[in-house]
Amino acid sequence: MAGTTRAARPPLPIATLTLRQFAHGKAVRVVALFAAVPVIFGLIYLIGSETQGRLAFLHDLFRNGIAPTVLPMAILILATNALGNEIEDRTMVYLVLKPQSRLRIVLEKLLAVAAVATLLLWAGTIVAYLIVMRGEAGDALAVLVAMLVAEVFAVLAYGALFLLLSLLISRALLAGILYALLWETTFSRFIPGVRLLSVRHFVESIYVRLADNPVVTMDNPNRLVSAVATLLILAVLATVAAAWRLRTMNLE
Amino acid sequence: MQIAEAPTRQPTPAAMPEAPPNATVVVRNLSKWYGDVVAVSDVSFHVEPGVTALLGPNGAGKSTTLEMLTGLLAPSQGEIRILGRPARGDVELYRHVGMVPEQETLYPFLTGREFVELNAVLQKLDDPAAAAHQALATVELLDDADRPVRGYSKGMRQRTKIAAALVHDPDVLLMDEPLNGTDPLQRARLIDLIRELGRRGKTVIVSSHILYEVERFADRILVINRGKLAAAGDFHAIRDRIDEHARSVRLRCSDPRRLAAALVQTPIVLSVRFEPPAGDLAPGLAVETSDVRSFYRLAPAIAQRQDVHLYEVAALDESLASVFAYVVERG
Repeated sequence: MAGTTRAARPPLPIATLTLRQFAHGKAVRVVALFAAVPVIFGLIYLIGSETQGRLAFLHDLFRNGIAPTVLPMAILILATNALGNEIEDRTMVYLVLKPQSRLRIVLEKLLAVAAVATLLLWAGTIVAYLIVMRGEAGDALAVLVAMLVAEVFAVLAYGALFLLLSLLISRALLAGILYALLWETTFSRFIPGVRLLSVRHFVESIYVRLADNPVVTMDNPNRLVSAVATLLILAVLATVAAAWRLRTMNLE
Repeated sequence: MQIAEAPTRQPTPAAMPEAPPNATVVVRNLSKWYGDVVAVSDVSFHVEPGVTALLGPNGAGKSTTLEMLTGLLAPSQGEIRILGRPARGDVELYRHVGMVPEQETLYPFLTGREFVELNAVLQKLDDPAAAAHQALATVELLDDADRPVRGYSKGMRQRTKIAAALVHDPDVLLMDEPLNGTDPLQRARLIDLIRELGRRGKTVIVSSHILYEVERFADRILVINRGKLAAAGDFHAIRDRIDEHARSVRLRCSDPRRLAAALVQTPIVLSVRFEPPAGDLAPGLAVETSDVRSFYRLAPAIAQRQDVHLYEVAALDESLASVFAYVVERG
């Protein structure tokens, strides 16, 4: 045993642990399946009759598939797996009974979730793009970059929100699925007021503003700065709330 | 450890004396309830360096009390101070406190060494690898330290948890049923370790529901029954009172009839009742004895003489509960 003095230590031990948890669990495989959904649609488009233009197809794919369903579901699965499972099996006690701030625990968890989610979602989006564009970069490269950047902000906002959710309720995965399917996929598409309260709306706003292409449109997109600021503020607030929740909750 | 009055019923708040200056753990009027269910009720005590046993039957409130001591659980009422600081909400306190939780779950993909090292890193130690190596050596787990914990036996998992709790050399160590699942040899070594920690001036609080185990390492005892502090103080004084009361012990063996016939010839055996096999378990005997400590020594010897294989010797919890109730009544 040793004294408790400070020196060089492995950085980000909780994030590293979480990445190893992901590597040995089923969650990443399920998320990879979700991330592959755009690829499957791309293949269907490729072998189909191509009645729709390539760029228009990619735009539809992002707005009707990736943004409303793939993003929230994939991030939800990782986020609830990162914290909720540890609370359920009580391994969380090995993290919280340490001189580590709760904010640091949540931030490292968010970092791990964001790293894996971004990697898988980007892979799915890039492969789908290449399939639809038949391997050519094409003149729609800016649209691809817009999708990828929008996905990063979605990962941060959804990641923090779903980490918080997994600390608030024991059936976070179920609640998150209902949220993703009902709120983000269904209500926010048809009810104008709800649209402004959905993460999806701001993710799509970032995508549309960055793409800056006449084919890439949506109703009443936010300005780029306000959409980015809204998602970042949401991510920060949810992270702080998750740290507060972890500090005050009973871990029995 | 110095208890308010030893041994006695739980003192009323008004009678609770001030904790002495060397008290490392101070608990005042601690209660925890869940709706209408009271898990811990108005418990007060203080603990000084040395080994203290938290004894009580399953469901008595021991784990709830330990979880409140570690800050994992917020009390419904009352105050806990460890090393003069609030037990909950001060993460820097965990530099000085170690906890061995009851649950077995570890990260299955880590090796024992990686798990203990992770704890050392999270404790912000100067040299996590060296600290982990020493802690693993202390619990004699070095030979298996580089295997994934998913392949560990229950006893090895217990030792891994203990190594993780010891890795930062805490001043206060809280252990929830640490001997569960260990074989007799490991148990003897862990008991030696617990006693050694006490001798070195650490404050060690060990929960257990097995009386005869507790007497091997604890000088002081807190008896919790139905959420209340039933008795507290010097272990031997309380044990003598508990031993006055007949207790029941379950034996599982290869030939219950043969063993029962031999046991009833023993003066300290008051009655023997046959128990049918339960699942994969061998048939058993529920033995009521007037001297449980002597019985624990005699039973294996009698079984050996009768050529009967003894698989289990365990106190019946309901019996222990009645003993604690008896202690309270006699208090």
